[in-house]
Amino acid sequence: MSGHSQPPALLTRSQATYVWRGVFWVCVYLGLALAPLAVLLLGPTPPGGGFWFDLSLALGFAGTAMIGVQFVLTARFRRTSAPFGIDIIYYFHRYAAVVGFLLVLAHPAILVIENPGYVELLNPLEAPWYMTAGLVSLAAMLALLVTSLWRKQLRIDYDHWRIGHGILAVAALALALLHINSIGYYVAEPWQRGLWSVILASWLALLVYIRIVRPVRLLRAPYRVAEIREERGSSWTVALDPVGHGGFSFEPGQFVWLSLRASPFALREHPFSISSSPESAPRVEVTIKELGDFTRTIKDIEPGEIGYVDGPYGAFSIDRHSAAPGYVFIAGGIGVAPMMSMLRTLAARGDRRPHVLVCAHSCWERVIFREEIHALADKLQLHVVHALEDPPADWSGEVGYVTAAMLDRHLPTERADLEYFICGPAPMITKVERALYELGVPVRRFHTELFDLV
Amino acid sequence: MRSMVAKCLAIGSGALIVALAILFAWLQNP
Repeated sequence: MSGHSQPPALLTRSQATYVWRGVFWVCVYLGLALAPLAVLLLGPTPPGGGFWFDLSLALGFAGTAMIGVQFVLTARFRRTSAPFGIDIIYYFHRYAAVVGFLLVLAHPAILVIENPGYVELLNPLEAPWYMTAGLVSLAAMLALLVTSLWRKQLRIDYDHWRIGHGILAVAALALALLHINSIGYYVAEPWQRGLWSVILASWLALLVYIRIVRPVRLLRAPYRVAEIREERGSSWTVALDPVGHGGFSFEPGQFVWLSLRASPFALREHPFSISSSPESAPRVEVTIKELGDFTRTIKDIEPGEIGYVDGPYGAFSIDRHSAAPGYVFIAGGIGVAPMMSMLRTLAARGDRRPHVLVCAHSCWERVIFREEIHALADKLQLHVVHALEDPPADWSGEVGYVTAAMLDRHLPTERADLEYFICGPAPMITKVERALYELGVPVRRFHTELFDLV
Repeated sequence: MRSMVAKCLAIGSGALIVALAILFAWLQNP
């Protein structure tokens, strides 16, 4: 014995594995997005271009590649999403779409600014068809962006948006590829043609996987609605049992895509957090708040109906941080659903570590799982804090948004080593992260689950 | 915080692409 204790490791072995896998997939992403540029750099140049012409072409190729990789990002491959959490991949998908669109837009913009005579190529009545294909592709990309970034403001129903998004995305990329192939710059050499064929084949294979292979798999592994329970706060818990198969294992806090009253081919699936514990698997329960067109119909679902569950997804789980001395759960509204999965799991496992649960709600009557949370507080070493925006007259608890001062009153002094799980509306998550940072909690201890993907 | 990382990564990859595109155009037209 040396008498010297080892300093605590920043990351456990499994966390380090996730970090390395994350770095690997980021490199793969960059490789895919940059591949067309490599083709340009390695191949012979068509004569008579000039700096701005070549720059414009390079940006067009690279922007198209970035848009193409967007399909991979939302294909929901569990292996690639595991290190990050799929919620953040969808956020990246959104930001990368804006960047990719700007790159593609720069392609005609530079050409026209450098040579105003090219404006004629934007006139569909006079320009060759493949130029119009490029222009329509650009318009489709713009429509994709506008309808996704401002879907709610434009009052577009989610299911309709989802179908339109798929059609526009396929059309945008197909037209862009037609435009590239028909013009023939940098695609004339046999090896370049081979490479573009591989890219096209991969993209088509991905479409077949997303639209056919995965729906068929889901169709073969159906679930039956066993129970529908009304919860507080206009929320409903749907319990689903697998039919003719063993279901799947999941980590507490993860989420699934659920299709109810729709075939998996219809792409009318919605993401919901699992609120049950994996200890009660193969049953899966999701708790859904009435917020939109689909969620308002949940109460009409009858026990015995068939549903399809695609999952599990997400990195928001205590099982990723099992060595923690304790957990702090901070939930806003329906954000308590994944927390319930984790708390129920801790209770089922007989956990004796001290934990804190902060629930932010509008009013006392709308505190989802209120009674069960109090029962769990007795079972676990769980300190429960309710923060209400509109408290009753005799309320002696916390009032208003979750702040640093509020957290300071309830967190133990040894707070830096605890793991913090935050789930709720995006502005609340940002505020809580700032508050925790002010209280000296290291950023690596924050774990968030972002709702509102679109 | 995680959404900020996603935003930075998207903008970073875009900036890398622009830099490589400029390098390509410059190499073709020194």
